[in-house]
Amino acid sequence: MKAASICPNDQTGCHLLPLANLFDRVIQHSARMHGISDDLHSEFELYFLPSKNQIGRVSRNCHTSTILTPNGKENAQRIAREELAEIILKLLVAWRDPLWHFHQSMSQHDEFTNFSSNKSLEMSDMVHELRKGVLKVVEKMQMLGIISNSVGDTGSPEALLTSDSAEWRFMKDYDLLYCFRRDSNKIQNYLKILKCRIVPKHGC
Amino acid sequence: MAVSLSYDLLLLLVISSLDWSSTPGSAFLTDHNRMTSSAPVEPHFTECMSRDLETFRCWWSPGTFHNLSSPEELRVFYLKRNSPSSEWKECPEYSHLNRECFFDANHTSIWIPYCLQLRGQNNITYFNEDDCFSVENIVRPDPPVSLNWTLLIVSPSGLSYDVMVSWEPPPSADVSTGWMRIEYEIQYRERNATTWEALETQPHTQQTIYGLQAGTEYEVHIRTKMKGFPKFGDFSDSIFVKVTEIPLRESAVLLTLVLTFGVAGILILIMLIVVSHQQRLMMILLPPVPAPKIKGIDSELLKKGKLEELDFILNGGGLGGLPTYISDYYQDEPWVEFIEVDEEDADCGEKEDQKSSDTQRLLGLPQRSVGCFSADSHPDDDSGRASCYDTDLSEQDTHLLAASLLPGQPEDEEAFLHPDEKAPASETNKSPLIQTESEGKPTWINTDLYAQVSNVMPSGGVVLSPGQQLRIQENTEKESQKKGTLGEDTSKLNKPQFQLLVVDPDGSGYTSEITARQISTPPSSLVPGEGYQTIYPQPMETKPAAPSEPNQSPYILPDSPQTRLFAPVADYTVVQELDTHQSLLLNLPTQQPPPPCLPQHPLKAPVAIGYVTPDLLGNLSS
Repeated sequence: MKAASICPNDQTGCHLLPLANLFDRVIQHSARMHGISDDLHSEFELYFLPSKNQIGRVSRNCHTSTILTPNGKENAQRIAREELAEIILKLLVAWRDPLWHFHQSMSQHDEFTNFSSNKSLEMSDMVHELRKGVLKVVEKMQMLGIISNSVGDTGSPEALLTSDSAEWRFMKDYDLLYCFRRDSNKIQNYLKILKCRIVPKHGC
Repeated sequence: MAVSLSYDLLLLLVISSLDWSSTPGSAFLTDHNRMTSSAPVEPHFTECMSRDLETFRCWWSPGTFHNLSSPEELRVFYLKRNSPSSEWKECPEYSHLNRECFFDANHTSIWIPYCLQLRGQNNITYFNEDDCFSVENIVRPDPPVSLNWTLLIVSPSGLSYDVMVSWEPPPSADVSTGWMRIEYEIQYRERNATTWEALETQPHTQQTIYGLQAGTEYEVHIRTKMKGFPKFGDFSDSIFVKVTEIPLRESAVLLTLVLTFGVAGILILIMLIVVSHQQRLMMILLPPVPAPKIKGIDSELLKKGKLEELDFILNGGGLGGLPTYISDYYQDEPWVEFIEVDEEDADCGEKEDQKSSDTQRLLGLPQRSVGCFSADSHPDDDSGRASCYDTDLSEQDTHLLAASLLPGQPEDEEAFLHPDEKAPASETNKSPLIQTESEGKPTWINTDLYAQVSNVMPSGGVVLSPGQQLRIQENTEKESQKKGTLGEDTSKLNKPQFQLLVVDPDGSGYTSEITARQISTPPSSLVPGEGYQTIYPQPMETKPAAPSEPNQSPYILPDSPQTRLFAPVADYTVVQELDTHQSLLLNLPTQQPPPPCLPQHPLKAPVAIGYVTPDLLGNLSS
């Protein structure tokens, strides 16, 4: 399907300008989210000395491990843009509830400083906002005919039930933070790759 | 086998539990601890690093645990924990020289934990759980390239400057696609310093260094790291920044020159202003002390005591010169009276009857049209007339004896008025007066015909000081004694027909016999408060019934230095007019005491009490 072109001259770069701006804002948002998750994770490492062999345990316990994600740049560049967009949305959806609960548990503990509590709340909100932003980007891309309409709303309760098992409830706080830190980095990188693929730029 | 393996695992666990590392994937930081420990070191990985988030490599060391014959005995196996059913694989690429295992892009997966282990001969595995990591956590980007610096600005003093350093991102890092987001950290130090100064990490490819000192060489290098991840890459090659000191001498000299010239210019301006307005400034700063000053008289002359000169000045070098002179200076001196002697009549007077001419002259006899006196020329018709008439005045010559009075020098001064008209017998009476006058100046004081005029009233009367009159009286008495033959005359003398307004401004209260005789005016005629006596002249027939009342007067006024010298004049007269010679024409009253009458001549200008100025005289005479 073809979307109505906004630009009069139907230049290739013209109608992509607002999309590029949207992408930039979304990427900025995801970068900020990743920064906050990194800060929280470092803070947790200071207060809660992790036990050994965190890697092994973490790799088993991240609830988003079931989501197949490209593990490299080349893989991310190779898969379809719709798929990439969908993965991003899946990740964002998967982290909505765990972060909310994490914030709740954080605020209940007295030993956490206000700084941490605010950051967890901010993190939770940012996931919400980022998801909305990415949805908007997808809508725009679909409007412009860049991607197909196969990218559906993965926020539906059915999708949640299938993809999101209750594993995250058994995760400890530190593992959760570690997982989220990794996933936020994934989201950030995927968004960058997606933008580079859709909005051609020098070097992409 | 499994038991030994498990035992080894347990042993390794125990060892690792002794010196655990905080972050997963950072187990390589504990190498130092292992090295320093006394226990023998087993083969281990020293470091695993990724430069571009797409590949990574690991280095190992054999340790001292076993005597390995060749480095190839150790093999690297890795495990990707992305699925439960994963297995150990061997290193895809070895570099035995460096003891390095390189994982290329195909074998690299991001966000997936890797675990590495070393296996020696006989399948001895050296495995450390802490050597598991995710690739994104071991990223150490390459340092930037193409460093260069530009001078931004130099401070006005030339001592410090700012420098902009710019560079290129490392070529290995895929920054353009955004796959890697790199931050840079600049560090600089002085050439020979030991510690580095670090600036804040920032993602841009240029940064400004502020506050570098001129003349000092600085060393600058940059390192990179992934945003959101802790590990820094290696430092770049150093560049050297140096700005030579700007020689301040020239600018300083110029500045000092400009300053000095400016200051000098300002000073000159101030001096000019001061000099030009010196008078005003002196007036402002040092106001002059008001000192008593007599106008027209140089105080220097007074100080030097040059009385002759002063006298000359005051009396005038010639006729006509002084009135103007004096009129200017004695504008407001009430006691100055100017009476001018008409020297032109001297010839006439000397001809035959000098006395009479002098008398005439002095007394202002009317037959002086040519300048010569004649005793008969005076009109008799004015005897009964009222005092105010003009015609006679115009025909008559009057003289003004110019004199100015100075305090302390009354003897040198003469002031007397010529009565315009007199009784017929006055001329004879005046002859002794003239006679005395011809003898010299000071002798006129002895006669009673003269009085010092102290003031001229606006009504026309002349104010005389009475002190003179006493002397006059004395002199006349002497005269009468001397010249017994002239008893008649003296008697006549004693009854001068001249009408002078006897005024005693200072008030001595003296009246001579003559005046006493002639005083018939009631005291009411005296004008009180003016400090003088107005004595109306009496006809000749008045008997000297009243005794001399030298000291009796309605008004006894305090003495004054002036009055001791002059006796009051019995009569007074009213200034009728001024003739062409600028002499006062006095109105001679007849039998009755004429009331003081203002001259009816057109007096255009108000007559000052003190005197009549020439211009006023001109007005009067016109």
